[in-house]
Amino acid sequence: MNALVALCHFCELHGPRTLFCTEAVHPPSPSPGSAIPGDRDREGDREGEGLTMRANSSATQRADMCEGCRSLPASHPGFVSVDSETGIRYLSHQHPRQPQLFSVVRQACVRSLSCEVCPGREGPIFFGDEQHGFVFSHTFFIKDSLARGFQRWYSIVVVAMDRIYLINSWPFLLRHLRLTIQSLQNTALKVFDSEQCVCPQRAVRMNSAFSPAVFPHQRSGNAARSLTSLTQHQNLWASLHSSFSWLLKACGSRLTEKLLEGAPTEDTLVLIERQTEQEEEMSGWDGAEGGGSNSQASQSESVQAKDFQFDDGRQEDLIGPKFKSLRHLRQVLGTTDFRQLTWHVLMGNQVIWRGADPGLIQSAFNVLKALLPVGCVRAVPYSPHYEEAYRCNFLGLSPDVPIPAHVSSSEFSVLVDVLNVERGCVNPVSDEDILSLYQFNISSANAQPTDKGPTLLNKIEVALSNENLSVEVVSLCLLCLKEEWMNKVKVLFKFSKVDGRGKEDTQKVLTLLGATGPGEEDNVRLLKFWMTGLSKLYKSHLMTAVRGGERTLSQ
Amino acid sequence: MPTLLQKLFSKKSVGNGSARDCSRGAEQCWASAEFDLAQIRLIVYQDCERRGRQVLFDSKAIHKLDASEPTADENKTPPNRSGACHIGGQANEKDKPPTYQYTRPASDVNMLGEMMFGSVSMSYKGSTLKIHHIRSPPQLMVSKVFSTRFGSSTSGSTNTLQDSFESMSQTFHTSSIAHSNPVDMPSRGHSEDGDSGIARSASLSSLLATPLPSPGSSFSSGCASSYQRRWLRSQATSLQHGPMPRWSTEEMFNLSDESCSSNPAMIRRKKIAISIIISLPEREEENHNFQEFFFSHFPLFESHMNKLKTAIERAMILCRRIAESSQRVQVYLCRVMEALGEFRMTVWNLYMAPRISEPVWLSMISHSTERNLLCHRFLKEMSFLMEHGAKSQFLSALLTAVLTHHLAWVPTVMPSSLPPITPACQKPASQTVDLLAKSHPYNPLWAQLGDLYGALGSPVRVCRTVVVGRRRELVQRVLYVLSYFIRCSDLQEHVQPQEQMNDPANTCTSQTTDPTSGSETINEKTDPLKPSLSVIGTSEKALNSGLGDAIPGTFVEQNDETLLPDTKSTNPSPSMESTTVRPECTEMGQECFGEDSDSVGGLEHILANQSPLLHRVQFHIGSPREADNDGQASGLTGAGCGRGLDRKLHQRILSDIRRNESSDSALYDSDDEETSPQELYVATEQKECELPLPNYQVESRASVNHFGHSLLGGYCPQYMPDFALHGISSDLRLKQCLMADLEHTVLHPALDEPVAEALCIVADTDRLSVQVVTSQRRVCEGGRMGRDVMVSNLIHTLITSVLQLYALNIATDFCVMHLEDRLQEVYFKSRSLAEYLRGQTRVHVKELGLALGIESSDIPLIAAVASTHSPYVAQILL
Repeated sequence: MNALVALCHFCELHGPRTLFCTEAVHPPSPSPGSAIPGDRDREGDREGEGLTMRANSSATQRADMCEGCRSLPASHPGFVSVDSETGIRYLSHQHPRQPQLFSVVRQACVRSLSCEVCPGREGPIFFGDEQHGFVFSHTFFIKDSLARGFQRWYSIVVVAMDRIYLINSWPFLLRHLRLTIQSLQNTALKVFDSEQCVCPQRAVRMNSAFSPAVFPHQRSGNAARSLTSLTQHQNLWASLHSSFSWLLKACGSRLTEKLLEGAPTEDTLVLIERQTEQEEEMSGWDGAEGGGSNSQASQSESVQAKDFQFDDGRQEDLIGPKFKSLRHLRQVLGTTDFRQLTWHVLMGNQVIWRGADPGLIQSAFNVLKALLPVGCVRAVPYSPHYEEAYRCNFLGLSPDVPIPAHVSSSEFSVLVDVLNVERGCVNPVSDEDILSLYQFNISSANAQPTDKGPTLLNKIEVALSNENLSVEVVSLCLLCLKEEWMNKVKVLFKFSKVDGRGKEDTQKVLTLLGATGPGEEDNVRLLKFWMTGLSKLYKSHLMTAVRGGERTLSQ
Repeated sequence: MPTLLQKLFSKKSVGNGSARDCSRGAEQCWASAEFDLAQIRLIVYQDCERRGRQVLFDSKAIHKLDASEPTADENKTPPNRSGACHIGGQANEKDKPPTYQYTRPASDVNMLGEMMFGSVSMSYKGSTLKIHHIRSPPQLMVSKVFSTRFGSSTSGSTNTLQDSFESMSQTFHTSSIAHSNPVDMPSRGHSEDGDSGIARSASLSSLLATPLPSPGSSFSSGCASSYQRRWLRSQATSLQHGPMPRWSTEEMFNLSDESCSSNPAMIRRKKIAISIIISLPEREEENHNFQEFFFSHFPLFESHMNKLKTAIERAMILCRRIAESSQRVQVYLCRVMEALGEFRMTVWNLYMAPRISEPVWLSMISHSTERNLLCHRFLKEMSFLMEHGAKSQFLSALLTAVLTHHLAWVPTVMPSSLPPITPACQKPASQTVDLLAKSHPYNPLWAQLGDLYGALGSPVRVCRTVVVGRRRELVQRVLYVLSYFIRCSDLQEHVQPQEQMNDPANTCTSQTTDPTSGSETINEKTDPLKPSLSVIGTSEKALNSGLGDAIPGTFVEQNDETLLPDTKSTNPSPSMESTTVRPECTEMGQECFGEDSDSVGGLEHILANQSPLLHRVQFHIGSPREADNDGQASGLTGAGCGRGLDRKLHQRILSDIRRNESSDSALYDSDDEETSPQELYVATEQKECELPLPNYQVESRASVNHFGHSLLGGYCPQYMPDFALHGISSDLRLKQCLMADLEHTVLHPALDEPVAEALCIVADTDRLSVQVVTSQRRVCEGGRMGRDVMVSNLIHTLITSVLQLYALNIATDFCVMHLEDRLQEVYFKSRSLAEYLRGQTRVHVKELGLALGIESSDIPLIAAVASTHSPYVAQILL
């Protein structure tokens, strides 16, 4: 808990004093998504320690501080306990180490023992204000055969800035502080009883001459006995440190939240699955060495880092002109060719680029891939020979590779030939003039019109053609559209593949999904193709778990 | 063959599914016992330098003079459990106001005065909050002490009121105690406090905001907005920054007619304390329950106390204008009694009103096994409501409003970037937030309250929803469905197992550690009535002490050997396991906590049964630890200056300390260590003795006293100002109170952070209308409270398609998954809107529709969602 605990004492000679104080030093704040604190424990802690100071400095040895006002001897370095899970350190000294807390604790001590009134003088009080912080205080007596009234007055204060949190914790703090206090009292009572047996103080005092003026000083040798002496407990302070540290930790973690996040997107799931597969292959080659324990953590990191460009981190290395965005590609190809090409991409047809510049082709693929769910992308960036459509839907070929006849005559493929306009231009001047360097010929045996649908493509084109929208906005639009259609894909999958519903019902679902109307045929093709991109996890989940929730028709 | 659904129903021995419908028995009362209104007492006290202390009001000393009920205290008969609590004065408002007689205050007022003001008065000018527990008779006393502010117009003050009391009969001089001089509590900045407060807190928030990465920077941080809210809270309430003036530090008792003008010189040394004293129930269990409720719901109690204080201020100002003494007193008493009546009624309702017994969202989080059942019932109710209000698009309008203002659903659909641990359909629990809670504890109750009120956006708005309708069962259906969309985190409580605190059979383990072997543990059961003797440490000679094992939960480990099995819920490794809730654990916890741990055992008992957790203890005092711990120990002595934020704060605080020291020492001999700030700053390398952290053994159970349960109300007999959601039969009282309540919420938010606007969604199931009432606009035309909600097309199609899927008999679990997917789409749209608005000055609505698919009817919703992750959105769109 963001609080400190202190034991205070009302010294007969010196008034209210802070005896012992346990504070929590938190590691510097993590930022969202950063590594677990444990990892950067060391450095972080050093930073968070910041301005520590030394309360037990030499000046503490002044005369007007008696045994009763002191806990640890001045030479004692104090106690520390480290919570290795969180990096929080619990420090105990006579006074707080953090300078800003010094006066806060002093205030709490003075108010707890000389200002606030508790009926019966023993018990809990809460008090505080915005300026001095808020305090839960529990006052109590400790037996002392030599003290006035045979007892001394103490309090344990819990100080925090979070008023509400502290008040919420009242029942918990009360319950546990009571136990600590009662054990202190109990221990002291035993000492008291044994002392009284040896030398009954009441009799001694009755017999001695009553002289109020010198009374406290008469016994000045013993007047301010330390709590250690009152309890005869040599490890008292270490025990209290442990107790207070535990209290701070337990109070801070008494309530925990269960806070849900959204399920990961299909793209995220697919990326994780692919990575796991890769790692399994790798570890298979390595000889079943398998670093399984770390895989999950490293997975999530690399998923974040690579995002949607999972297998082409080397793009930057390739020199030469590149396509930078869908909008750029559209400008270069022209709206008609772009429409035709993206239509094929979205329908799941094989997209073949043939040309001499692998960097250019790969950049085109990277841009086009963004149109599809990750699970729908199978790319062979640049190959010396043709690869079949079931192996890849993006295929890059060198200029001289022939396209098999069954492919060039197929309506399920599109070929883009990249032709160099000027031969011999080895060093392209800039990226901007792709048009002046290359010519793009698009050909396909597809006879269907590509201008009706799918709806998704129509909407993307609206965003792309609106120059008011930045590239970032367009890519977020695309993300929205993809997620929207992925959700339709899920419903269709559930409906047709899992439940195996008939055609009539399926038509109803398509209507309610908004997939019907103009471009319906293309929409349905898109949905069917995208279904192949669903993650294994999702599919298997629907196939198994959801069955349990099936209703009978009568309900 | 019976379906799983049927099995579940029969297992619950309810018979059939319909019996679980929300129309019947779906609501429960919060409290286990009756709560008597007369249990709440109000005392207003004044502490004046010259005149001493005077009681200005004590509800115990006031008797109503009424022909019909001549002697009875109006609140003697508590309202019955199901009925509304109506206060006499409130019900017959048209009648002549009641006459009150003020008798001599009760004998305990002197003592109470001492407790309110303290034995030494403070010079601090802000308000002070105090809570006392009075043992016999058992009572809780909450006091707020204010400095007074007087207007320049009248020389009058409470003195005139006091004079009036005195002239009536008795004297109320209660303080015969000789007052010591006021303690000059160091006050920061003295007179300039008033105007610099805002600037300070503004700089604080900007300071705090800067080191944070923009939550809009990536999609990967799932719970970015929840995380940031909580992180900021932990920083704003951090002790490490020391006392920070916050948004409302200077709260005074205002006795001036003109609220604004107040000359600091006019602030006299006069304090007014307002105390609410609640008599605790006699029975131990009820007492415990009420206290648990009171302390966990304190912000609400406090907010109502602030309302009461405002009413008292007004009463005092008003009665000053009345010349005739006895009439003045009557007006004053009447007003204050009326305000007290309101307070009592609100508290009573807060405690006693019916709640939704199975809020859909929270139940889905906590009972994943019943998920299918919950999904089924939820969709059934939703589809009923959709049909019921089809013509007016009632449900679509209501959900538009709820999703726009109760924004806590947004983080629950933000996609997680982490690999799923749970099945794909189940949302993962946020690990970043969980980690934050451990390393930088914040108050989960506070976070939950903010969630329920939808305070996630920027600027902060808080919202409540009230469903009005004469048809009880219909209203309950609406409440039930809304309890899926009004979301908050679920709370778990981790407490020490009861039997370890006071089960005689399991305690009193003595430790004997053989110095030579150092690893033998001898557990022996000792006589529970005899305090246990334990030997602590190896180097010490026979120590006579029960202290070590009396420390709750203390367990000091030796030789890195864990002697206690780890409880699953507190797995010390930061693994993902610790974030998932294990049902078996929870169940175990519930079993163990069937009884209240405070209820048994007196002092003897507790003492005799000190914690068994301490098995072996070895303290390393002044001795170096083993090598593995050395590293850690040295790690903490670095004297680096930390981040810039810390440094700035420290510098400012340092100067405060200097000031504090000087004033402090004037009154008390200050401790030597405290004399010189320079000395404090001698950051010397120092190495503390490292002790292992006591093993933290706890058991987890579902928390009961949290807002997720208490603020989702059922069909209540009366309008409730606190509930995030509830239903009522008539909007009569709602109309009377709502505007004042919303204004009060903005002035004194229970949320304990500044609030820009308070809203209330009012859904009328009779008229099938949905309106939003705001604290910012006054009454609309035609006697309407608010403005009608424009149905978001996005929400309408969303609900429609989910319910069509349901109608096509698709598994309900899948339908709910689809609903979540569609809500996630809304979130994604908000990201594009936020990106679109970045750097934009003009918004083209048409463009939004064409390019982003955001229609004009969707803009309020999507802008609100966007404001949770991109605060600048509100600035552009407002």
